[in-house]
Amino acid sequence: MLDNVSDLVFGPVFDTVDIGLVVIDADGRVVGWNDWMGRIARRPAKQVIGTSFYEIFPEAAGTRLPGVIEDSFKVGSSSILTHTLNALLPLQGEGGEPILHNIVVRPVSSVHTNYCLLQITDVTVAVTRERVLRERQNARYHAIVDSAPDAIITIDNDRNIQWVNGAVDHVLGYGHSELLGQKLDILLQPDNPLLPALAESSVDQKTDSAVSVVGRYKNGKFGHFDISLGHWRADQRDFVTTIWRDVTERVAADAALRDARDALQRTNDELESRVDERTREREIALRQLHESQKMESIGQLTGGVAHDFNNLLAVILGSLSLLKKTVPEEPRISRLLDRAIQGAERGATLTSRLLAFARRQELQVEFVALQRLIPEMLDFLRHSVGPNIVIHVEISPEVCAIEVDANQLELALINLAVNARDAMPQGGSLTIACHNEENGKRIGLPRDPFVCITVTDTGEGMSEATLARAQEPFFTTKGVGKGTGLGLSMVHGFTAQSGGAMRIRSQSGEGTSVTIWLPRAKEGSKAADADILLTPPKEVRSLRVLLVDDDILVSMGAADMLLDLGHSVTEAQSGPHALKLLEIDAPFDIVVTDYAMPGMNGFELAQKIRQRNPKLPIILATGYAELPADRSIEFVHLSKPYTSKDLAGALEKAVN
Amino acid sequence: MDTGELTDLEQDALAEIANMGVSRAASNLRQMVGEQVFLSVPSVKIVTREAASRLVERENVTKLVAVQQSFEGPFAGRALLIFPEAQSLELVRSIVGDQHSLEDVIDLEQEALAETGNIILNGCLATIANVLHRTMRMSLPSIVRGDGASLFEVQGTASGGQFVLFLFIDFNIKKRDIHGFIALLMDLPSIAALKTIVNDFISAIERQPSGHVG
Repeated sequence: MLDNVSDLVFGPVFDTVDIGLVVIDADGRVVGWNDWMGRIARRPAKQVIGTSFYEIFPEAAGTRLPGVIEDSFKVGSSSILTHTLNALLPLQGEGGEPILHNIVVRPVSSVHTNYCLLQITDVTVAVTRERVLRERQNARYHAIVDSAPDAIITIDNDRNIQWVNGAVDHVLGYGHSELLGQKLDILLQPDNPLLPALAESSVDQKTDSAVSVVGRYKNGKFGHFDISLGHWRADQRDFVTTIWRDVTERVAADAALRDARDALQRTNDELESRVDERTREREIALRQLHESQKMESIGQLTGGVAHDFNNLLAVILGSLSLLKKTVPEEPRISRLLDRAIQGAERGATLTSRLLAFARRQELQVEFVALQRLIPEMLDFLRHSVGPNIVIHVEISPEVCAIEVDANQLELALINLAVNARDAMPQGGSLTIACHNEENGKRIGLPRDPFVCITVTDTGEGMSEATLARAQEPFFTTKGVGKGTGLGLSMVHGFTAQSGGAMRIRSQSGEGTSVTIWLPRAKEGSKAADADILLTPPKEVRSLRVLLVDDDILVSMGAADMLLDLGHSVTEAQSGPHALKLLEIDAPFDIVVTDYAMPGMNGFELAQKIRQRNPKLPIILATGYAELPADRSIEFVHLSKPYTSKDLAGALEKAVN
Repeated sequence: MDTGELTDLEQDALAEIANMGVSRAASNLRQMVGEQVFLSVPSVKIVTREAASRLVERENVTKLVAVQQSFEGPFAGRALLIFPEAQSLELVRSIVGDQHSLEDVIDLEQEALAETGNIILNGCLATIANVLHRTMRMSLPSIVRGDGASLFEVQGTASGGQFVLFLFIDFNIKKRDIHGFIALLMDLPSIAALKTIVNDFISAIERQPSGHVG
């Protein structure tokens, strides 16, 4: 057809079409150039026909045009070159504005030769219209998304990031173009709820609520985000626009708030438990106070009764011992008297235990080395507990000496051993362990140091109820007639009076462990010489005795004993009476006074006598330790009830 | 005539020719994009249209986009450059540049894809024609979308017995890896003609131990 370009019909058609048409021959020369080209290139056909296309448009040499034109000739290929991917010809409109154009290159074969046809299409109007349209449509959208504080990221079906707003910079730390084309996954932890949410939702099935995920900033750190999803479709493609709100601070604040609330709750709970604990402690303290008050009143009662009873026993014993001397040797009478004396002595033992519990016995405090005392009494203990029970003793040489009444300590240990025996009817083992206790406060004692003696059995133990009452006097679990109920009471009273303490640990079926704390001997105290040389009995000389006692019965008994011992007696019923007698009567060799008397007590009397006549020996007879501890040493003591032998011993000691 | 099978030699020769074609396309793209573009054809085979339609639906991706051009000459048919639709946008973005907005990329997709496909398909077809010293006529590119079956007209009754020369093609542009396919749909005579021409080419090479090609 090109051979007919000048044809009357096709020539005007060639020039009338509204696209640029250029025909080039195999040598690259322009053989056809329509009016559209003449107008846009501002060069009429007659100027360019026969000229090389690359002379007309030198810029075209640097484009894909030469290649595609060559291919068109050589292999018959058709090509399209778009303005979007190529800078093509420098075409300008009448106002000098660039003309956006696409070029289609096609091979044209004719009978004689081959040509190449370039079709140049002006797409400026269409492109501009599209852009204006889109800009108008997008203006409001961009105003929103560009000013949004949240990162907005649009992804395609494959989670490739296709678009981001400017906020990705300050929200996630990425530059605007860094994210495009990347997988959304780089912003997420591998195991996150967003990907399932994306998979489940679609344009038709929208998710309502935001998805909370842990996202990753560009710097590799993680933050909390709420992500809302919006699906949309364009050109049959599905997209999801994700809006990332950084809620890291809120999450942190929530966590802090939660922690604070938890801490407050904990503090409250602690406070409550502390209040509960204090209340419990107070209840325990009150119960203990109540208990100790009860014990105290029982003690006072017991002590009072025992004291009076003791006096009576003194009378009975004294009278019986005198009677025995005076009645003729008659076996039957003698047996009856012995039995009466034994009974009275047992009564005396009982009262002494009662007094011990009431802490009113007189303690002969001395230096006691447990390493010596306990082994010495082992035989006796073994005898007491019987062959079925093995006794272990654990005393290391470091255990310090103590200052207590040795006899009372022995009695306490025997009481504990007997209790242990009764708790182990089938046999078992009994352990006596001693050790030093440096810290008295630990066990509620005001001073230290102590020595601690623990007596442990493997017996049946005590129930809680039994344990609570174990120290009460007369409380016993033993059958009627088998126990006095005074064993532990005695131990308790003895330790308390000695300045120590006692504690019982026991559980039903788990054995019992009784621990007593006794004060350690002060540094420098010396062991009393245990081997006191027994002085041979001396010639008894007759003494003039002033006997002071407010109880006439007791006084009479004592007087009888003194007379029996070959002494002369003058009785006084009170302290003042005694002083008067001392003033007016003949000189006495010795004064024997009761301690507990109304008005002036025995100690006060003794002090007054000492002031007037320091050389006059004085014996204080007491049923219990009411004497001021520091002063009692000044006078010879005589424990009530006493036998005539006890009295004789005291007289001898006082006079010498 | 055995149409479905290519001998190892024929396969190697065609893969060689296809690689020459895509490397020519790559240099054209490089000129356009201004960055390195790598294209390679790792394997070639002749398959039925049904097999081809299954091959392109890799990993059950059924939404495909293809650039299509027809060609005629000593052998005739349709050439298709096929991508999963999700990847085509990436391909376009990698070619037009990241500075374009998503809307721009969507707008430009059709044109850019057509031109890119045009370059690649022309490259392949022109190289085949060059190497085999034949001329062909090729149409302008058009864009078709659909699943494998619709691209290869599996259900169509027309021109039964068409076969597909199937080439895998890998793109690497601006650090993006994109996998696609090139398919040349040809009827039986065209396949036979292609094989004959390829064998002529092979024997021509064998006659010239120096390995001169083209």
